[in-house]
Amino acid sequence: MKIMLLYGTETGNAEMLAEDIMAELEGEHEVECRNLSDFGPAEFDARRLHMIVCSTYGDGELPASAQPFAEALKAAAPSLSDIHFAIFGLGDSEYEETFNFGSKGLAELLVSYGAVQVGERVTHDASGSDMAEDLAFPWAAGIVALAEQKIGEAV
Amino acid sequence: MSRAVAIVGSGPSGCYLAQALLKADPQLRVDILDRLPVPYGLVRYGVAADHQGTKAVIRQFERLFERQGACFVGNVVVGEDVTLDELRQAYDAVVLAAGLSGDRALGIPGEHLEGVHRAGYLTRALYEHPDAEPLPQLGRHVVIMGNGNVAIDLLRLLAKTPGELAGSDLGPVPTDWLAGSGVETIDIIGRSPAADAKFDAVMIKELAKLEGVTIEVVGAGVSDDDEGAKKIAALDAIHGHKTGSRRVTFRFGLTPVRLEGKDGRVGEAVFQDANGGTMSLPCSAFITAIGFEAAAGLPRDELVGCAAELELGVLADGLYATGWFRRGPRGTIPDNRADAQLLAARILADLEASDTGLEKPGRHAFPQWTAAVCYDDWKRIDAAETASPPQDRCRVKIPSREAMLALARQTKEPDL
Ligand SMILES: Cc1cc2nc3c(=O)[nH]c(=O)nc-3n(C[C@H](O)[C@H](O)[C@H](O)COP(=O)(O)OP(=O)(O)OC[C@H]3O[C@@H](n4cnc5c(N)ncnc54)[C@H](O)[C@@H]3O)c2cc1C
Ligand SMILES: Cc1cc2nc3c(=O)[nH]c(=O)nc-3n(C[C@H](O)[C@H](O)[C@H](O)COP(=O)(O)O)c2cc1C
Repeated sequence: MKIMLLYGTETGNAEMLAEDIMAELEGEHEVECRNLSDFGPAEFDARRLHMIVCSTYGDGELPASAQPFAEALKAAAPSLSDIHFAIFGLGDSEYEETFNFGSKGLAELLVSYGAVQVGERVTHDASGSDMAEDLAFPWAAGIVALAEQKIGEAV
Repeated sequence: MSRAVAIVGSGPSGCYLAQALLKADPQLRVDILDRLPVPYGLVRYGVAADHQGTKAVIRQFERLFERQGACFVGNVVVGEDVTLDELRQAYDAVVLAAGLSGDRALGIPGEHLEGVHRAGYLTRALYEHPDAEPLPQLGRHVVIMGNGNVAIDLLRLLAKTPGELAGSDLGPVPTDWLAGSGVETIDIIGRSPAADAKFDAVMIKELAKLEGVTIEVVGAGVSDDDEGAKKIAALDAIHGHKTGSRRVTFRFGLTPVRLEGKDGRVGEAVFQDANGGTMSLPCSAFITAIGFEAAAGLPRDELVGCAAELELGVLADGLYATGWFRRGPRGTIPDNRADAQLLAARILADLEASDTGLEKPGRHAFPQWTAAVCYDDWKRIDAAETASPPQDRCRVKIPSREAMLALARQTKEPDL
């Protein structure tokens, strides 16, 4: 399957995780990995699965590298009804009230333009004991399996 | 032929720079020098012990040494063990990412009194920096002067009950020191109005979780400005938070004028308010958290003063600066990342343009660095620190340089 792996990051953790996911999936799939700061809403592609890894910063906000993308998306207000995406969040439960709001907000934004979310959003907690990849690899494998059916049907 | 880059300082700026350089050109030889036997600068010794999530960037930096090929050269002081000129001879590029570890002085009468402490001195002692001095007696009434995130870190740690430090890497000595501090009141003073305070609103919000305090906010005021309004809203929200007897009071718009004391010990802090009036607070300890400046060692003022393009991080031909050393003591970990990524692009372009065809020796020019600590040595120290921490701690730092070096030099036992 063709996968566009996108990350939104502030201190680089999401980038590292995206690279790790890419290394996991590359053997069997065609994966391109990009910073959300280098991705425009016009580049969404109905034949690909878009996998997003995104952290949260400030007070429940999107990390710096995802902000221009979110702005561009709001400005373009495209119809994304044939676009499939899945999202994994990085956050820290020290920030109780806004835990993983970045990935949550981004998912809601995409859905509001009609994009189809594949699988559940899974989140990592920097204050927890799990390694991000231990959650993200099974998530990625599950998402890809789901998406193969969905996108296969759609195209 | 591969080019050699020396980065002086293994804090976030140095590590992010190495990461960006090696990502773009995996062939580069990148050595990261540090005066300490242990890496990561203020991520280890500045970021608060109870903010372990923020320290998670260390996983990226580990990868830098474990997979990207960067080399850690610890326990080498640039300016003492090796001169800057010697480094510049041996490497194609030298980058100063040495941070700013000197505490700024307030410059008011009475600052020399006993009981007056500076934030860097205190945080180094709390986080067991090998060069730290012993933790001082604070007494019952603490005044913290300053309104940055560092001031809030200190306030939070002093205000926490022992149970609230679970999960941190605060060591046994600082833990006992905090538990037995006997601090009854903490006044935290900002020179500016609350709206212009340097702290982030989330740092204030976090205080709403404190379990043993009564918080009062005096004169937070109002603001039309978005950022200012956020801070004021956060302060308003914690005003009246009451979970215990330790009193925390926020005051704004007060300029410190002098410190007074008896028998050489501070007893009172005198301020001027916005209307020119005078107010004073009794205090047994006065902590200044008003920023940092260059410490002795590298001649920063001189180097930065005659920089070719300081904004871009270029000090001279083949000599660069990044992070706090370049920008001054402002900005968080992500700011250093952005700074480092820009500088990496510049260094790569300069290396490209200056290719002489001659291979520089890098660290091999310095066989005398026999006491240097490499990454594997550090991993032994790291393993010792994380092997068996108490149940409510994630790590027990080794506080002395001697003990660190002893572990570093312990070679692996041969397999029987
Ligand atoms: C108390 C405190 C708490 C903070 N908390 C946070 C936080 O929670 N979140 C956040 O984002 N930011 C925080 N910051 C800011 C953050 O720490 C800085 O932005 C960042 O560390 C600056 O990185 P640096 O690499 O420039 O300097 P540093 O981290 O200071 O690293 C400099 C390194 O250079 C080494 N060095 C110095 N001189 C020499 C020499 N002559 N030879 C060899 N090596 C040398 C030092 O040993 C050190 O390892 C905090 C800062 C402080 C002071
Ligand atoms: C200043 C700051 C603010 C943060 N705010 C939040 C937040 O509101 N909610 C959350 O879940 N995580 C928050 N985090 C945690 C980060 O999302 C977490 O550390 C993540 O691993 C960072 O990934 P990145 O390096 O890709 O940006 C914050 C971290 C910092 C340092």
